[in-house]
Amino acid sequence: METVTPQHFLILASLLFAVGFLGVVIRRNILLVLMSLELMLNGINVALVAFSRSGTNMDGSLFVFFIMTVAAAEVSVGLALLVAFYKKRKSIYSEGMSLLGN
Amino acid sequence: METVALSVLLLPFLSALVTLLFLRKQGNIASLLSVATAGGILALSLFLIFAGHGETFSWSVTWIKLSGWELEFGFLIDAPARLLLFVVSFVGFLIHIFSLGYMADDDAKARYFGGLSIFMFSMLGITLADNLIMIFVFWELVGFSSYLLIAHYFSTEEAAKASRKAFIVNRIGDFGFLIGIVLTYWIFGTVSLEELGAEANFRPHLVTTFLCLALACGFIGKSAQFPLHVWLPDAMAGPTPVSALIHAATMVAAGIYLLLRIEFLFTPEALALLALLGAAMGLYAGFCALVQRDIKKILAYSTLSQLGYMAAAFGLGMPGIALFHLMTHAFFKALMFLGSGSVIHACHHEQDIFKYGGLRKRMPITAYTFLIGVLAISGVCFLSGYFSKDAILLGAYNLNLPVFIVLYAGAILTALYMFRLYFITFEGESRSKYAKQAKENSPLMTGPLIVLAILSVIGGYHALFPVEIVGALIEDIRRVAQMDNHLWMIILGTLAWVGGALVARKLYGKVKQDDPLASKAPGFFALCRSKLFFDEIYGLYVKRIQDPFARFLEVMELLFISGLMVRGSAGVAGLFALFAKAFYVGKIHAYALWFILGTLGFLAYAVGFIGG
Repeated sequence: METVTPQHFLILASLLFAVGFLGVVIRRNILLVLMSLELMLNGINVALVAFSRSGTNMDGSLFVFFIMTVAAAEVSVGLALLVAFYKKRKSIYSEGMSLLGN
Repeated sequence: METVALSVLLLPFLSALVTLLFLRKQGNIASLLSVATAGGILALSLFLIFAGHGETFSWSVTWIKLSGWELEFGFLIDAPARLLLFVVSFVGFLIHIFSLGYMADDDAKARYFGGLSIFMFSMLGITLADNLIMIFVFWELVGFSSYLLIAHYFSTEEAAKASRKAFIVNRIGDFGFLIGIVLTYWIFGTVSLEELGAEANFRPHLVTTFLCLALACGFIGKSAQFPLHVWLPDAMAGPTPVSALIHAATMVAAGIYLLLRIEFLFTPEALALLALLGAAMGLYAGFCALVQRDIKKILAYSTLSQLGYMAAAFGLGMPGIALFHLMTHAFFKALMFLGSGSVIHACHHEQDIFKYGGLRKRMPITAYTFLIGVLAISGVCFLSGYFSKDAILLGAYNLNLPVFIVLYAGAILTALYMFRLYFITFEGESRSKYAKQAKENSPLMTGPLIVLAILSVIGGYHALFPVEIVGALIEDIRRVAQMDNHLWMIILGTLAWVGGALVARKLYGKVKQDDPLASKAPGFFALCRSKLFFDEIYGLYVKRIQDPFARFLEVMELLFISGLMVRGSAGVAGLFALFAKAFYVGKIHAYALWFILGTLGFLAYAVGFIGG
């Protein structure tokens, strides 16, 4: 029976990160962009926990809590901005956010 | 005493400032202020002249201090300065009064009298200055005020052009003067007149011909001597009192005064050259004056000729005599210019002498005072011009015969063209409507004429003047008085003016509308009219050489400075901007993509994939 090695966790982490990244780059809906951003952070969390476990060092796990806190704060700020943006433009699609382009 | 000197200098400046700031629309108040200022200047100047009891007064303070170099602001009131101070303040005051009458109907009186005050300020500055740089500053200021006043009738093409011409031609001379000043500082390490005098005495080997000729460029430009004489006749486009004050009595004479101030820097070769140039100018301007129709241009050429006499006197080593002639010339030439102003004013600004005639009966005071001026300049015995001019001629006869011959020919011409002017203007029949209606002017205008006429008669008796004023002249006058051939010179001088007057009487006693010389000697007439083509030659030079050169420089400037350097560097920055702008698309996804790619790039660098 195959055991689960850190490599597997790393593959899972990078897949999560890649899916999140594609979501950020491709999605038009800002709400989904924010969610994809969370997915990227979670990918990183997985990698950190895996490192922590294989290295018998709690630093990685500790870092995950920080990331979750920061992510919560970031999402709340992001959602607040989104609400404000929706109130002004009646839209949550990214095409409206191009006033600074040339 | 320095307080008085400072106030005499600042008084006209303040008057000009007040006129400029508050009185631009109140011409009458401005004119009274300016005349009162001139009176104040006269009073303070007389105090300055007599307070020192004939001793040299000098005073200076530091004006600008740079490391190791100090520029002083100071006064040097010695004998020549006292004389010029007297001439400037006295003649200036009379001309201010005359201006009250002459400019009574002018629309821009405030500008005119403000300009006169600026001129008095700058001229007094030249008179009192104790170093070359200060002289240069005021030198430029008189040039500026001369420009301002020539262009008084700036709506006429003639005046606008003349003022520009005067300014530019003066700039050429002043450039040489500036080079001279820099060289003087380079060689002697000082520009103070007193220190320069001591240095030049102490180390005569430092004095070079090139240096003094460079300084003399200032004189050549300002006194309108060959080859920069072309501006003065054109400058007659200004109001007549201005021509009297600036272009006859004081500013053009400042050139001679400058020579006197730096007399110790002149080498014998430079002096000989100046004598020759001056004598040639005396003759050349005489020929030009002989065929002019404009009353003021005749007087302008006559001024050129008399300035030539002064330069010749200086060149012959008789600076005192040059100054003497400067003084008497200031009297009789200001008299004649004001007389011509009186005539022009009475004849509705007609300036062609062939449109006058018979004015003696209608304007007796102007006519007789003018006649005194004519007699004085022609050198009739015992009038002021006789003493100063015959002193120059006698000195030339004994010191340098070729110069004497040229000057003597000039003296005959002087009598000829002056009597021509007198006969055509004041004798015979009136030849135009205005001349028939002419009336004598108000006492405001005839008063100064009478005072100047008296001075033109007695101005030559230097013993009549206080020694404080004429102290600078006495030594050279004594020297000339001890020379030989006095009787011979009296005979020659009398022959010159009697001959000139008789020829003028015969030729011009009864003229019609045309110059009789034009039909009797057409070739000679045309040659004199051409003024030896100086204006044409300069015009050609400007058109053929200077303008193409300027255009060449313009192309070079367009190509290299504005093209390659200014536009070029802007273009390089622009290219970078074009490249950077390509990233700035306005889509949030693109920014995120670039951000992540950038992060990956940093990561790759940190891990060591790229860049090592």
